[in-house]
Amino acid sequence: MGVDFQSFIEGLTTAIQPMNLLWVLIGGFLGTVVGMLPGLGPATAVAVLIPVTFGMDSTSALVLMAAIYYGAMYGGSRSSILLNTPGDGSAIAATFDGYPMTQKGQAGQALTISAIASLIGGTAAIIGFTLLAKPLASFALDFGPAEYFLLLVFTLSAIVSLSKGNMIKGFISMSIGLMLSTVGVDLQTGVYRFTFDIPQLSEGIDFLVVIIGVYAVGEVLYNFLSIDDIKNKKSKVGKKGITREQWKRSKWPMIRQGPIGFLIGILPGAGGSIASMLSYTTEQQISKHPDKFGKGTIEGVAAPESSNNAASVGAFIPLLTMGIPGSGTTAVILGALIMLGLQPGPLLFEDNPETVWTLVNSMFIGNLFLVVINILLIGLLVRILDTPPKILYPLILVLAFIGTYTLSYSIIDFYILVIFGVIGVIMKLLKFPIAPLILAVIVGSDMEQNFRKSIVAHDNFMNVLFASPITITLLIMTVLSIAYPFIVEWVKKFKQGRA
Amino acid sequence: MMARLIVPSFFITIGIVYLVLTVNLPRSRTGDPTAPLYFPLIIGSVLLLFSIIYFVQEWRKRDEKFEAFKALFVGRAPFIIVSTLIMIFVYTFLFERIGFLFSTIIFLTALLFIVNGRKPWIKNILISVLFSVVFWYAFSELLSVSLP
Repeated sequence: MGVDFQSFIEGLTTAIQPMNLLWVLIGGFLGTVVGMLPGLGPATAVAVLIPVTFGMDSTSALVLMAAIYYGAMYGGSRSSILLNTPGDGSAIAATFDGYPMTQKGQAGQALTISAIASLIGGTAAIIGFTLLAKPLASFALDFGPAEYFLLLVFTLSAIVSLSKGNMIKGFISMSIGLMLSTVGVDLQTGVYRFTFDIPQLSEGIDFLVVIIGVYAVGEVLYNFLSIDDIKNKKSKVGKKGITREQWKRSKWPMIRQGPIGFLIGILPGAGGSIASMLSYTTEQQISKHPDKFGKGTIEGVAAPESSNNAASVGAFIPLLTMGIPGSGTTAVILGALIMLGLQPGPLLFEDNPETVWTLVNSMFIGNLFLVVINILLIGLLVRILDTPPKILYPLILVLAFIGTYTLSYSIIDFYILVIFGVIGVIMKLLKFPIAPLILAVIVGSDMEQNFRKSIVAHDNFMNVLFASPITITLLIMTVLSIAYPFIVEWVKKFKQGRA
Repeated sequence: MMARLIVPSFFITIGIVYLVLTVNLPRSRTGDPTAPLYFPLIIGSVLLLFSIIYFVQEWRKRDEKFEAFKALFVGRAPFIIVSTLIMIFVYTFLFERIGFLFSTIIFLTALLFIVNGRKPWIKNILISVLFSVVFWYAFSELLSVSLP
């Protein structure tokens, strides 16, 4: 097995240091609060809270960001269950049975089972992470520029084909992101590209400003459009404790769906949304009472909650072992990590094993904390949810500005922030997926460098594509990922035709 | 009727402009002179290709109503969005001139008046002052992030 026990123990020792425990607690709580706000998901939570990590050492910052991430995953389901308003895509499945449970006066039980399910899913995924991360990092050491280039191509195509909305729009969104990554001085030759003689553009457009602009400012402005329609629904929590029968019904769905969610989380593009939807539908299919799903059955909350939390842990594997973010949120975390001086990739396990294993241990501790926070503080969390968005959104906007200013202490970034905020709103109105843009902005420069290095090494583009069994596999996976939506569509039509 | 063609046309224009700018990029003095052009040429072409497909998709739907931007013109939305953008520019102007704390109090108060309404004015002012001080203390003092 690939577990490096000495590093694991060192990581555990660092993770249980009081300051790191405090960061996990703060991150988990803040993530829960931001993730809970309707319209704001984990990506926004991490983007908005990036400035909190400034001035911290990189390990603690990583621990904090991970806590914000899975805290927001918890938070997303709070508003799904209580308000029927998911914080983000991965919390949608929690509305199917969570909200009907609230209507039946069982909100407290739904919240409790969602917290327990998240813990079980998260724990299963952390065990998987411990076993799989190191071997994958060793495998990634075989990757040369051609392999990396094709891996990034595959990641982008997977994100485009799996992101909601029209695939053509996804490719346009991705192209715009890649275009933005080419602004500034070319790293290999020193040629100024697309800077229009503006000195601030010579170092390129800071992807964190793009991220905060699109995710935080864009989301807030978009929510402003319907701010008067958002009603403050007060929810009665009811009993928190679950019955023996409810536990019996939800136990296996939680245990089964954790590992599935974890494996889905590892795949680029497929994240919490797909994991939770798949878990929900498989549980419904194998259930003895499929007709009860959608009407407030507890296993309908347990299964997706277990798998979406596991998926969020799984997403750290490609992020840390290869530097490949598989989703908008992990892209945001990657951006923040690079800013902190950590370069995710196979060498991270060689150079900073303690950082990685501190993260793993802190995720386990964080999941425990979150269960306690989410069960003990249900009342308080619900009260926060009752705070009018009309007050919360302006505060989030201020946080976005603080974050942007502290990136480079330049007021010019405020303008860039607003421009991308407006772009974010327009993209949402036109139903353009945002994740491909963000991912492309972040990996664009790496992709170009690997592309050019591989062209030099293999003479021409065709040779790059067929450079090794890994590149050929990635090429096939890319083609399949693009073909996937068409295949699904075709199968659907075929089934309809037969019926 | 043709409003829906504006967006794809815009992307087609961006693709063309980007490709023209790419072709006119200065050549490198080291190594392959055209190396900095390769990647942008591919991206520009990909954008152009997909924008044309998008145009065709929208052209096929040309008789359907285009309502993507409808939400921008409903109720208080135009007022809130335009006022917020103006306030952001004012905030940007004031930020380094009068410092984080005071500019944020002004920005947040104005924003809360715009979004939350004039009626709860005491609440708006209290929240603005309280949160600006909390943000300032948390970032400047606790997290050692220097703010003007």
